[in-house]
This record gives sequence, C-alpha cells and structure tokens, in this order.
Amino acid sequence: MKESKQLLLANQAWAAELTDEDPTYFAKSVRTQRPKFLWISCPDSRVAPEVITQCSPGSMFIHRNIANQVNLDDINLMSIVQAAVETFEVPNIVVCGHYGCGGLEAALKGGTTGAYDRWLGHARQVVKDHCDEIDCHSDDEGKLNRLVEVNVRDQLINLARSEPVAAAFAAGKNLTLHGWIYDIRDGLIKPLLKINRTTDLASIDKPGRVLLPTAELEAELVA
Amino acid sequence: MSTGIFSSWRADVPASFVVALVALPLCLGVALASGAPLFSGLIAGAVGGIVVGLLSKSPLSVAGPAAGLTTIVFAAIERLPSFEAFLLAVMLGGLIQMLLAATRSGVLAEFVHSSVVTGMLAAIGLILIMKQVPHAFGYDGDYEGDFAFFQQDGRNTFSAMWHAVSTSISWGAVLVAVAGLAFLFWWDKNKPQTGALKFLPGPLVVVVFGVLANTLFAAGAPGLSIHPEHLVKVPVAEDLNAFLGLFSLPDFSMIGEAAVWTTALTLAIVASLESLLSVKAVDELDPKRRTTPKNWELFAQGGGNFVSGLIGGLPVTSVIVRSSANVNAKADGKLSTVLHGVWLTLGVLLIPAVLNLIPLAALAAILIHTGYKLTSPALFTKRWGQGYTQFVPFVVTILAILFTDLLVGIGIGLAVGFVFVIARNFRTAITFACDEDDCLIRARRNLYFIHKQELQRELARVPDNANLLIDLSSTNYVDLDNVDIINSFIKGAKYRNIAVTVRGDLAGRTAPLIDAPNAEEAFA
Repeated sequence: MKESKQLLLANQAWAAELTDEDPTYFAKSVRTQRPKFLWISCPDSRVAPEVITQCSPGSMFIHRNIANQVNLDDINLMSIVQAAVETFEVPNIVVCGHYGCGGLEAALKGGTTGAYDRWLGHARQVVKDHCDEIDCHSDDEGKLNRLVEVNVRDQLINLARSEPVAAAFAAGKNLTLHGWIYDIRDGLIKPLLKINRTTDLASIDKPGRVLLPTAELEAELVA
Repeated sequence: MSTGIFSSWRADVPASFVVALVALPLCLGVALASGAPLFSGLIAGAVGGIVVGLLSKSPLSVAGPAAGLTTIVFAAIERLPSFEAFLLAVMLGGLIQMLLAATRSGVLAEFVHSSVVTGMLAAIGLILIMKQVPHAFGYDGDYEGDFAFFQQDGRNTFSAMWHAVSTSISWGAVLVAVAGLAFLFWWDKNKPQTGALKFLPGPLVVVVFGVLANTLFAAGAPGLSIHPEHLVKVPVAEDLNAFLGLFSLPDFSMIGEAAVWTTALTLAIVASLESLLSVKAVDELDPKRRTTPKNWELFAQGGGNFVSGLIGGLPVTSVIVRSSANVNAKADGKLSTVLHGVWLTLGVLLIPAVLNLIPLAALAAILIHTGYKLTSPALFTKRWGQGYTQFVPFVVTILAILFTDLLVGIGIGLAVGFVFVIARNFRTAITFACDEDDCLIRARRNLYFIHKQELQRELARVPDNANLLIDLSSTNYVDLDNVDIINSFIKGAKYRNIAVTVRGDLAGRTAPLIDAPNAEEAFA
C-alpha cells in the first residue's frame, strides 16, 4: 500500500473510532477550542507533542520551527503567541527542546546554506553568548547537550519579553512559561526552568544540567 | 466455483460408502447401549445423513446417533412410560434446538479454546484405537462406539484390551484386522493419483476383503471362521410391511408429562453442545478449512432430531468418528453425508443379509486407522510448540476424556482451557506516575473485571496529601467492580487529604458513575 494511502486510511479509521465512542465528538469540536497550552518545539519527527504528552485534539496550540527559536522578529510565531495569549488566554506556554537537535548541531558545526543557514543565525547567537558554557565540554555530545539546555533558557526569556506575554504579565494574568527538554533516549520530558509574572528576568541563572551523558543515562536506566 | 450439492460428486460418492459402512455398526452399537430397539439407531443414522445433511451448511460433518448421549438416552427410556414417549421427547428436543438457533446460541461454540477442540479430537482418536482393539481381536463385550472409560460390561478401556488379547482371541478376526490395517496404511502412501482407482476408498476394499476372507475361512479353515456374534447384526425384515413395522410414532398423548419435557430439554442442550463441538472439530479437520455457520448447524441438528423422533429414531448429533472417516475418505462436500444416509436406508431395506456378513474386525481396522489419523504425533508436537498455555489444556482434555467420558472430559477441558485463556489474555492496563504530590493513575486500555487486583494495587501506591488524576480517557469500558473500587478509594481519600480528579472516557460512560470532579474537556 502507498504510504500516503496508509495515512488516509488510518485517518478514516481514527474518525470512525472517535465517532463510534461519541457520535457528537466532531460536532462539539467544530464549536470551539479551549487549548490549555501553547507548545513551541522543533519539527523533528520524533518530537510529537500530542503523542508524548498523551493529549487529545483541542488541548494544544502548536508552533514548531527548527531549533525551537523564539525570535521577536518572527511574525509567524509572534502572531501565534498573540492569539494564544489574547484570544485563548492559555495559562501555559511550553518551549520544548530535545536531545540531539539537528538544527542546533548545525548551528554548532556549520555547513549549512540557504534559508536554513539564514534561519540558524539566531541560534548561532546562542552559541556565541554561551561559548564558555559549551566549550568547556570536551566531547560533541556534551557540547550539544549543553547548547540544547541554554538554548531553551534563552528562548524562554525571549518569549517572556515578547509583547503579548509581557502585556499579560503586566496585567497580572495567570500565565506560566515552561522550559522543557524532551529526551528521545528515554522518552521523558525533563523540566529545565519556569517563568511567570513574578520572575525577575534579569536574574535568571544559567540552567542546571538535565541531559545526562549517554553512558550515565544508560547506567541509570539499568539501575 | 460451483457450489451445488452435486459439484463434488466424484469425491463424495466413494466416500459416502465408507461412511455408511463405518456408521452401520456404530448406529447399532449406540442403540444397543441406549437400551433402545436396534432399528432406532439405524433410523437416526439415516436421518442424520439425509435430513441433517440437507439442512446443514457443514461440508464434512456427519450426524447420527451419538455415544455421548447413550447414558442420557438409557436413563430416559427407563424413566419414561414408553419408548414412544421417549420419541416425543426427541422430537420436542429438536424443536428446542431450533429455538436455541433462533436465539443465536450457536455462536457460543466459537468461544471454545482451540486446544480443547484438538484435545477432544486426539482423545477420540486414542479411545477409538483402544476401544477397537478388542473388536479387532474378536472380543465384542463393549458396544460399538463407546467413549466411556468404565464400560457397561464391567471392564475399563485397558482391561478390555487385555481381556481381548488374553482370553478371547479369535484368529480369524485378528487376521482380517491386521491385514486390513496394513492395507489401509499402504494404500495411504501408494494410492494412484490418477485414473479410476484414485476414487477407490481403501476401507471399502477392507470390508470386501473381510467378507471374502471369512467366507473362505468357513469353507476351508473352520477354525479361523469368525463367529456370527463378531459380525454386523442388522435387524432383518421379512418384507416391506415388516420393514415399515420397525418404525414407530411418538406418543403425542404424553405431551403433558413433565418427564418428557425435562428429557427433551436435557437432550436439546447436550446434543447441541456435542454437535457444536463436533462441527467445530470437523472444521479443523477439513483440508480446505471451511467454517461452518454454527448457529445454522444448531437449526439443522434440531431439524434432524425432530424428524428422527417423529419416525422412531434415536436423537442425533454431529459425530466425530463418522465425520473424520468422511474426511479421511476424501469427501469434499455434503453430498457424502446425505448419501451415507441413503445407503444406510437402502442397505438395511434391500441387503440386510449381506451386511450381516461383515466382520466387526474389518470395521475395527477402518476405525483404528481413522483413530490414528486423529491422534497423529504431529498434533502433539504442534501444540507443544505453541507453548504451555496451548499444550496444558490440550493434554488435560485428552486425559480427562480418556479417563471419564466424552462429555465430562470436555467439561473439564473447557474449564481448564478457560483459566488458561484468561491468564493468557490478561495484560496490565494501569500506569502509575508520580511527581512529588501530583500523581497520575492512567488506564491505558479498558479496565475489565480481571483488572480489579491491579487497580487496587496501583491505587494503594498513591501517597497521603496527593493530587490524584485518574485518567480513563483511553478506555471505553470500565467494569462496574472497578468503578466501585475507585469510588471507595475516593471515600477514603477525604481522610488522607487526597484530592481526586477524573478524566473520563470519550463516550462519557464511566465518569458520571465516579464521585469525583471531572477534568475539563478540550471542547465545551
């Protein structure tokens, strides 16, 4: 069977199964949506937000871009943040990086061209800003792991400074920003930091380590 | 592909002769053991072939009087005022079976553990061999077609074999049986694949050989001659009127008798069970693996019993020995079973004296060969290879049938099989996750009755002062016992400062039954 056909058939089955359970399911979903989360992550096919958090349709507003960048000049993302915060009044925004991020690896090592290369300019700034944090690791995995962590921290701070979020904070709204990292080695999301309206953005420290070196992680998994 | 009843006549006609020959002594034997007139067994055989055969959609199953019913029939005939009253019960039993078919009870047969079905086949094969050994040696103390370990002649399966070999050996019978058996196994391997001989059934050769050999013994070696009591004994009617006199009608005046109805009900239930299991087993033997519609079969069997009772016959069920002889004889469609009924009728009507020349030892050879086919070592190795959850019920069924009888043995097999099925089908369904005071109990699939213990165990892990979310969103069924467990946990939770929230199933069946606030929906 053609792969595209498999998707279409799976979709038919999915719709039939849901309707079977609740005949009004799609009628209800037409009326409105009430997402509790805006999720910003990398388009990596292994980072499937609704799958890894077992969310059903309707629970997440999603934006994905390479290396989960929050660039205040990115009109695409900014419009989404605005809609999420102002229209849906989501109480949570997640920026979720992930282990082995190909975009950040390219930002670290170079070799990119074209639009991809231009997009990574923003990420290369993170590398530059934290070169001491990153270069102190001797191995490639350690360097990339640390970059994944500091990148989430920086992007989360960018997000906190974005106009819609800053306005919501100023208005005293109940909004929390979560910096998370999804570890594709064990399937677990590892929380890195949190920002809300009481957080002093200037005093946010460098984040702790959540991505263990593979050898250590495997030892932990065995134990 | 042509699906008419005559489409496979080339295979079915020769096979039908074999089945009729095998059926003949079995019909008589079952009647004898049931304490009924011998002719009633033959009527049942003919009806099982013609009526059930025509009604049924099973290609290979053969119906007729069954050994599994003898104890019930024997007791019923003793208890009821007359044989004619018993016939009424058979007729009514048939009607009840048709009613059962109307309630679609036949589909229950699909839920029998497959190891129990093959175990039953293997056990019948073994019993067939062991029970036929005495007949092969010329000892006919037990009736033909018995499956019970403890026989009516006071012996059991093993002692009867020993008795036959040690005391009542009849060399003429042994000669016929051994030669017949040797020929059948040789014929299996060396049967021509083309030409007219392709359709010559081996068992037919064995029977003709048996008759001829015994005639020769009588002429040339009287010492070897097989005594008349070791030959087939069909009631011989003088003329057509005497033949018709062998039929009897039910006594309809007994319709108000309670015992008639209890007998009818018992017969209907036991005959239905036996037929369904047998048909299921025959489907397993079918080289083409066709599936018989079970509920329809119930109707066909009911029709058979209705007619059999009406004209003076014993109750019928689908029977494995005749069916597997049918499969063995390479029948392909139901024409074979229908014709076997026709041959039984014609044979008994036209040539009873000829039939009475057939030595039981020749038929023993055929049945031992059939038994071997049912109990082939490959059956055991295959089940062994499928692991203990298939092998144990298989072996338990065999042993239980071997040492009790067919019905009790199957009952034990079903019970054991059921336990193994539950154990094999059980999968854990609950995930527990906890982060400080926030805990999640998630059902990743339906919470059936069998998940009670797991649910209690996982709930016990929730610490005091926790915020607990019970996520049932991946279920569409939570057994009421499990709802009770959750509700009693919630009652206790108040005293442990545990706050419980429930995320219900999509269809909203379970959440309303649980006394906890509902987690919000994505669409509202």
